[in-house]
Amino acid sequence: MARYVVRRMLQAIPVLLAILVATFFLIHTAPGDPVTILAGDGGDQAYYDAARARFGLDRPLPEQLAIYLANAVRGDFGYSFVHRRPVFDVIADRVPATLLLMLTALAFSTAAGIALGALAARRSGEPADHAIVVCTVAASATPAFWLGQVLVIVFAAGLGWFPVQGMTTARGSPAGPGAVLDVIHHLALPALTLGSLQLALVTRLVRSGLREALREDYVRTARAKGLTARAVVARHGLPNTLLPVITVVGGHFGTLLTGAVLTEIIFAWPGLGRLLYDATLSRDYPLLMAMFIVASVSVVTANLLTDLTYGMLDPRVRLA
Amino acid sequence: MRAFIGQLALALIVATACAPPSVGAGTSAVASGGGPRRGGSMVIAASADPGHFNPAITTAGGTHFVADSLYNGLIFLDEKLEPKPDLADRWDISADGRTYTFHLHPGVKWHDGQPFSSADVKFSFEEVLLKYHARTKAGLEAVLAGIDAPDPDTVIFRFKQAYGPLLQRLDVVEAPIVAKHIYTGLDPTKADANLKPVGTGPFKLAEYVKGDRVRFERNDAYFKPGRPYLDELVFRIIPQSNTQVLALERGEIDYVSGIPGPDLERLQKNGGYTIAKSGAGSGGSFCITTLIYNLSRPPLDRVEVRQGLAYAIDRQQILDQVYFGQGRVATSAIASTITWAHNANVAKYPLDAGRANQLLDAAGTKRAADGTRFKLEFVHATSFAKIGELMRQQLAAVGIDLQLTALEVNAANDRTFIKKDFDIGAASYCNGPDPEIGVRRVYVSNNIGPILFSNGAGYRNPRVDQLFDTAAASVDRGERAKAYYEIQDIVARDIPDWGLVETEGYRGWAKRFHDLSYWSGDLAEAAWQEP
Amino acid sequence: MKAHRARAILPAGLGVGGILVLVVVLAAVAGPRLAPADPFGVSALPFQAPGGSHPFGTDDLGRDTLGGVLHGARVSLLVGVAAAAVAALVGTAVGASAGFYGGWTDDVLMRLTELVQVTPRFFLAVVVAALFGPSIAWLTLLLALTFWPATARLVRAQVLSLRHRDYVVAARAVGVREASILRRHVLPGALGVIVVSAALQVGSAILVEARLSFLGLGDRSVISWGYMLNDAQPFLRSAWWMSVFPGAALALTVLGTNLLADGMYDAWDPAARGERR
Repeated sequence: MARYVVRRMLQAIPVLLAILVATFFLIHTAPGDPVTILAGDGGDQAYYDAARARFGLDRPLPEQLAIYLANAVRGDFGYSFVHRRPVFDVIADRVPATLLLMLTALAFSTAAGIALGALAARRSGEPADHAIVVCTVAASATPAFWLGQVLVIVFAAGLGWFPVQGMTTARGSPAGPGAVLDVIHHLALPALTLGSLQLALVTRLVRSGLREALREDYVRTARAKGLTARAVVARHGLPNTLLPVITVVGGHFGTLLTGAVLTEIIFAWPGLGRLLYDATLSRDYPLLMAMFIVASVSVVTANLLTDLTYGMLDPRVRLA
Repeated sequence: MRAFIGQLALALIVATACAPPSVGAGTSAVASGGGPRRGGSMVIAASADPGHFNPAITTAGGTHFVADSLYNGLIFLDEKLEPKPDLADRWDISADGRTYTFHLHPGVKWHDGQPFSSADVKFSFEEVLLKYHARTKAGLEAVLAGIDAPDPDTVIFRFKQAYGPLLQRLDVVEAPIVAKHIYTGLDPTKADANLKPVGTGPFKLAEYVKGDRVRFERNDAYFKPGRPYLDELVFRIIPQSNTQVLALERGEIDYVSGIPGPDLERLQKNGGYTIAKSGAGSGGSFCITTLIYNLSRPPLDRVEVRQGLAYAIDRQQILDQVYFGQGRVATSAIASTITWAHNANVAKYPLDAGRANQLLDAAGTKRAADGTRFKLEFVHATSFAKIGELMRQQLAAVGIDLQLTALEVNAANDRTFIKKDFDIGAASYCNGPDPEIGVRRVYVSNNIGPILFSNGAGYRNPRVDQLFDTAAASVDRGERAKAYYEIQDIVARDIPDWGLVETEGYRGWAKRFHDLSYWSGDLAEAAWQEP
Repeated sequence: MKAHRARAILPAGLGVGGILVLVVVLAAVAGPRLAPADPFGVSALPFQAPGGSHPFGTDDLGRDTLGGVLHGARVSLLVGVAAAAVAALVGTAVGASAGFYGGWTDDVLMRLTELVQVTPRFFLAVVVAALFGPSIAWLTLLLALTFWPATARLVRAQVLSLRHRDYVVAARAVGVREASILRRHVLPGALGVIVVSAALQVGSAILVEARLSFLGLGDRSVISWGYMLNDAQPFLRSAWWMSVFPGAALALTVLGTNLLADGMYDAWDPAARGERR
């Protein structure tokens, strides 16, 4: 197992390196110059030259890449042009919020998806089944940013059940258990928005998996022995359908990250989403590079974790 | 001889000491029987994370909006952008306009208790502002001969020639003063100190949750008696202006610095908010949304064509439909809010399709069979897309086919100012507190180079160059105004660019707050909350 | 048993999905003839509520929302279909070659697939749109070039499973050329997964275009639903129709293609279940 993990990680290195180099050229050849943007409404040629020299942007591109890679090997990914701090410090500050949002959304879509999928499977072919399929697919077909805004207008601005923005109350944040409740209160709408993206996916997998399982002989036997439909689903059907759910949900990590970017912008959630957007607009090269690395590494890691979980849950899959 | 400004300032500081709220009073709507009182906290919506708290190394609006409350400039600019005392109590200007002597407020302390002195001012300019603050570097480096600190309470600025607009460049947005003892020997662009700011300002940093909020506490040792009144300022980072307004209406925050047009009427009707409009702010003051004509490309090199365009573009429609009336149709090259320099009596081009067609005919541009005279590419940032879509309609009526190229803002600026690959470009040129700061760069011929927000049209007029030099080299407002009047006359006839709208932002805040300096970087120094 | 299952799903999936897609396609084809010729054209007062001569109302510049939705159908569908079609072609070629030839071809192609799959697509789209200028053509190409790995993996798995089927082995034994075996015998078997995955990608591509527009990084030279949704942002509360109609059009289209893909998938080839992503 450990050998498998190490081998997978080694395999990922050339992939990540290729992404790094490609991204480097992509970002550095783009129109728009970080130095002129930093100078903004002012500045002159002397300022531009000084800033270019300061950031090492006055050297030929291949040389810049070589310097970047040499520093990266030593763990130095540079300073953000805008934040003036090491890029990974800037990113690390934002990771917890994004992770909290993504994991909550994941938990929501998995739990709700299993419940709805199981219900649909038991009511196979009935109106409830069709309604669940259409509604969940419709939820994931609705652009998350639009859904988020509508949720804000209805449940936050209109009914006042939830706060409009942020992760905590800005005015006199509560401490202790109150702080946790405060975060949960703020988390509800964004997590619902983001979770709705994958709801249809999970529901569909659980539904079709269960329908198949319910026709298996052992399930029929269990039913014949007098177990209720609910008990049969819970004991025999669900464990088998969880495997594809894990695979597919894990494989959609990138989609979830994407959704998080937009959700965070709508709800003013202090995560990576806005950081990416701002870094792009300000041509903050080092920060953009680092965000690409983080996003790629997290997708690779999510894939690896997915496969590992899969292997642990299904002994037939041997990791070698 | 010119010391009258300083005397006025002295008189004002005395008045200030006696009646604290008079300087920088944003609203005079004081509740009956109430005056400024201590206590309370205000939550302010910030559109961007400040990133760090050193406003001296950047011109980024996001950093200044938050960090300026931690610092002071030598000068405070009031609502009309007239200089008022801040770290400097008073100042004398030599008769030849080349020497400015500032007398600093005695006994000012940094947040860490160290005494503030003239050495800090000298250090801030020489080691930080003139190196890293783009506007201050571009504006002062070439004209400044030196800065002296003869004693702890005196700073002298010496210029190579007479220099008029210095005082407007010394507020906390243009020239925040940072601590010498903190930054000596450090690279101020990378120093950890930028996250542990030590300023002289009315507030001190208490907490910074990145991407989420910044919390400031009252500076109890602030040098202006009684101030600040609020115990706490919280900047909540909310990128979308829609969301900011929603949060204001739900009471989650107290202050919004940009109310979108569609929300304005609702907030005004509500009655629970004070709404103020201002063309000034930490992001740039007195901005004119301007079309830039590429004078090196036919047919825009013909003045008749540019005049024809002026007659054909319905600026009132743009003001109404794109800006929801937040501003005024531009009248000349200098914003009408800089009252002493603005010349309203320049050549006018009221909407007139007939005149436009005449001029275009006179310029020899014939209509093809489909009625089109020629094509022009309008390269613009997506924020100007609506303007482009309206202009396309307006210009089609006189036979001009406007091709719209909407780009991300930096890519658009790159095409317009650096690569010069456009027929018509667009920019929001901010005049700043003085025409020397924001207007000169648009028209002088030595600023055509690849610099953002420079003379993008490629306009060359020796008389205009000369007049700008005359205006800069004088400290007499009457003399300066004369030069600026003539500049506006010439530009209105030549039309190298075409001002569309002088934009104004609407700020809104909960009614219980008073005396906000919403036009300044130092938003809440005098602000107080009703019980 | 299989027939029973298919029948149960057909009404919910193929039926509803098919109708929705048909309506959108009709709107895209016939729409521009029904609506004003120029969707950018200002035809009325701004902010008119739905009704009368403007059944979907007008926007902030006085443009007909119905006209925009109809014209937008064309652009949005074009982005979706073109991106999905190119992705299907590339994915099929890569997946089929990898699966059929195996060995180092498989290794290289699968590494490449992994590379593209790990690159965060939306990050890339945001960066490319922001840095190189938003253009529908570039966006479509970018989507096509990042969508293909999913198809490639499916096709490869399908080809691997078909490779050892009797009829393929038999064809090879009688000396039929490999390319020909691939074309005549293997690919037709994989057609199901290709079409299904392409149908799903149509919806995804339309959504990505809308997301970019939401960030203000969309192509403004053509009217798409994303463009309209972006424009409607400031007016969510004052002019609901500006966002509800294009939003609904977009959601129904994605819903339609997804249901159609689902239905086809269930009706077509249950063997690929679990492989699908």
